[in-house]
Amino acid sequence: MPDLKRYQGLALIGVMSASTLWLAATGQLELYVAPKHAIFAVVMSSLGLAAVLVSAMRVTVHHHAEVRPRMLGRVAAGVGGTVAALVTAAMVLLPPATLTSATAAQRDVNSTAALTDTTTLDEQSAPDASTANLSLLDWASLLRQTSDLGFYEGKTVQATGFITPDSDDPGNMFYVSRFYISHCAIDAQAVGVPVYMPNWDDTYDADEWVDLEGEFAVNASTSSSQGIAVAAGAIEPVPQPTDPYIYK
Amino acid sequence: MTDLLTRTRPKVARRAQRIGLLVAAGVLTAVFLVRTLTGDIALVDLPNAAQDLVTLTVSVMIESLGFVILGILISVLVQVWIPDRWIVKVLPRNAAARRVVISVLGVLLPVCECGNVPLSRGLVAKGFSVPEAMTFLVAAPIVNPVTILTTYQVFGFTDGILVARIVGGFLIANLIGWLFSQHPAPGALLTEKFAADCALTAGDDHDHSGSKWQESRDLFAREAAAVMPALVLGAFIAGLVQVAVPRSVLVTLGSNPVWSVLALMALAFVISICSNIDAFFILPFATTFMPGGVVAFLLFGPIIDIKMLAMMRTTFTTKTLVQITTVVALMSATIGFMVNFYA
Repeated sequence: MPDLKRYQGLALIGVMSASTLWLAATGQLELYVAPKHAIFAVVMSSLGLAAVLVSAMRVTVHHHAEVRPRMLGRVAAGVGGTVAALVTAAMVLLPPATLTSATAAQRDVNSTAALTDTTTLDEQSAPDASTANLSLLDWASLLRQTSDLGFYEGKTVQATGFITPDSDDPGNMFYVSRFYISHCAIDAQAVGVPVYMPNWDDTYDADEWVDLEGEFAVNASTSSSQGIAVAAGAIEPVPQPTDPYIYK
Repeated sequence: MTDLLTRTRPKVARRAQRIGLLVAAGVLTAVFLVRTLTGDIALVDLPNAAQDLVTLTVSVMIESLGFVILGILISVLVQVWIPDRWIVKVLPRNAAARRVVISVLGVLLPVCECGNVPLSRGLVAKGFSVPEAMTFLVAAPIVNPVTILTTYQVFGFTDGILVARIVGGFLIANLIGWLFSQHPAPGALLTEKFAADCALTAGDDHDHSGSKWQESRDLFAREAAAVMPALVLGAFIAGLVQVAVPRSVLVTLGSNPVWSVLALMALAFVISICSNIDAFFILPFATTFMPGGVVAFLLFGPIIDIKMLAMMRTTFTTKTLVQITTVVALMSATIGFMVNFYA
């Protein structure tokens, strides 16, 4: 009778390592971890696979006396084993995916204090300043620094992101948003540009990726907390980019 | 008859090895094939929150997998290939000085807390006193290069979190060691079964029937079986908390100097995440929780959580674990409150 518990750990390392290497080979590992961690993940997964193959060559070995866990321990181990099996199966069977607008809304767009100021008001107020190369993160950074409409006058917003409905006025407002990540998806923070467009969901869907072009105006929404928003801009649906996250 | 067994056993063993290797290679190839086939096919249409739960869980698993594999490999190296006497001989004779040195041994043996439990059992069996093994068990997950590096990567020197973690871990470990060294019969702190096991293996320098390579393979499998389900479960709960707990609740708890500490200690106890990657986990909370809460999380979690208590119960009595938990909780909370007060 094979010792199934012994193979449980090997199976988990094997499946997770193989899935990690597959994600790396297909260029999708960055949907889960930052590029700076990718090499470490690939090297250790390769080592893990090799160790699993070597360990699977079962030979007779001495075992230290093992303590049989009590009832609570056995129940906990059963629940843990089941969850581990289901999660690992999901890792293999479900297509790789980015985080969605549900997490963006749950974490509040532009709420993080850890968001570094990637550009400053002084830099963008300079006579030779150009907004052509500003990223979505730059715009979010500027919005955290000021909502004075005078500062944004004459500045055209160009940005690509997915649609996250505004939590205060979901029928008339949304964010063109992206996730900003330091290490892996668990620390993702949503950044974005607010857009005022009554009944926007007649034309677009939440989570749809769009190109936005427009200028800031006083926010016409009466229930939103945003003082300014992009109004009447050109919004074109686009495919999800291959690098959907902004990495630190 | 004996000659026949002697001649046939190696053949049987080699055949079993080949079968094991072939099965493992077949399973891993199948995983690659299935992953390739299902890479673009949505087998089920998950709601956004469920999809994000899967994405967050897988993200933590991938992020921490490399560190856990590294920890298991080093644990195997230390337990099988480095003679125990090397470690025991270099220690000072004075008890307090020995504990101080033992509490920084994690720098040389950078395994996460899961790997430290079997390692500590081995150290007791090879001559460490019970309080010394406890000191190692408490300090090593925190005072080790991998944990220090990942904590530095995440927090740098912000709010003194990194320094408070290293110094706090060192102090708690030595306090635990000193307290239990006052016990009149430290052997009574161990479970009867483990104490009997130690008596059997005392003086036995890996007297196993197989070679060191065989023992390494077996130990890798046993460590993986102990650690991996806990890792996946921890990643799942971490994802679930992120998806299910409203940010407003977290912000309310996190902005209070006392609740920020207690809430994150409770979170650390439940999620049972590995010390090598817990800094990554707590990063998103750092924007809503006061730094003392983060420090308490980073001190308490590596030493005491659901997974660790279950593993430590194989070695220590319930009464001993209650005492350890009480001391560690009080010390972690105190250090957390102090950081909140001064930061």
